[in-house]
Amino acid sequence: MVGMSLLRSAAAFAARLGPLKAGNNAANILARTIPRTNKVATRWGHGKKMFVVKPSNFYDRRFLHLLRYYILLTGIPVAVLVTAVNIFIGEAELADIPEGYEPEYWEYYKHPITRWIVRNIYDSPVKDYEKVMAAIQIEKEKGDMRLTQLEVRRQMRHHGDGPWFHVPTPDKALIDNSPKSSPDN
Amino acid sequence: MPNDYDKAVYPEPPRQTPAVDKQTALPNPALILTKLFYYTVDLPVTTFRDTIDSIRSKNKLVYYHQKFRRVPYLTDCQEGDFTCYYEADMQWRRDYKVDQEIVKVIQERMRACQQREGHSYQQNCTKEIQQFNEVTKNFQSRYGDLGAYANAKRCLMKQKERMMAAQAQSA
Repeated sequence: MVGMSLLRSAAAFAARLGPLKAGNNAANILARTIPRTNKVATRWGHGKKMFVVKPSNFYDRRFLHLLRYYILLTGIPVAVLVTAVNIFIGEAELADIPEGYEPEYWEYYKHPITRWIVRNIYDSPVKDYEKVMAAIQIEKEKGDMRLTQLEVRRQMRHHGDGPWFHVPTPDKALIDNSPKSSPDN
Repeated sequence: MPNDYDKAVYPEPPRQTPAVDKQTALPNPALILTKLFYYTVDLPVTTFRDTIDSIRSKNKLVYYHQKFRRVPYLTDCQEGDFTCYYEADMQWRRDYKVDQEIVKVIQERMRACQQREGHSYQQNCTKEIQQFNEVTKNFQSRYGDLGAYANAKRCLMKQKERMMAAQAQSA
């Protein structure tokens, strides 16, 4: 009995030392039975249902699902719209400007969606040009006014008769001239 | 079908396919392959294009090439007239773009000529090569090292330097 328990503990110890070694299963060492490899289950009918332990891919799948959903929510209508425009309306063709005809500013673009954007959303290039010219004109006038202001200041300070450099003095009528009548007081 | 390229500018070399002189009874594999390609690729693509064109032909749109009026150049502006400066600058930028496209067209012609002539391009394309050299030399002298922030005033200063150099050289 003691010897058997000694053997059993020795087998458990050996199994613990090298648990990954092939023949070191505790029961195997004790009994040293050869595993019978010639009689295996060859037909996998209803296999045993295994609970495979792996990390959750719920979050990854949810993320990809939501990504696809939100991209395609606007992606598909835009793709359908662009395809329909290209098939049913098609790009414009280059033509010579007819005599005496002034084309509208959107008629200088090829793709119909570009034409629509330029017509409805953007301002005409002439208007943009005039806006820039107006800004330049305003800045020029501001600069000219500042220069004239400096010049006026210079002239007034130089001549001394400009209203900007008048020093307010008390009224002449307020001067009491009575001490001057008796100079040697 | 879209417009073909200008055949006068890019002339095709004379065709060198020999006359058909069939001496065997065996079928010609090149002929079989061309017919196969035609029926599997060429015909479906052409019919698809024709159907799309027939759908499109109901709403035909045209676009035009915009022509800009000429405004006074930078040298014709009064000093301090910044709106005149702006208009001259815009005109200069448009002319710069046009000149870039001109250089690209001349370059394309020279490339086409080289492709056509093969290994004997140096003697057969002298006209295109000479035209390209002249155009690029002029472009370089006018717009050469102005860089990305080029404008009309800098180009004018470059022209002034050029004239000064020419005068110094001739004097």
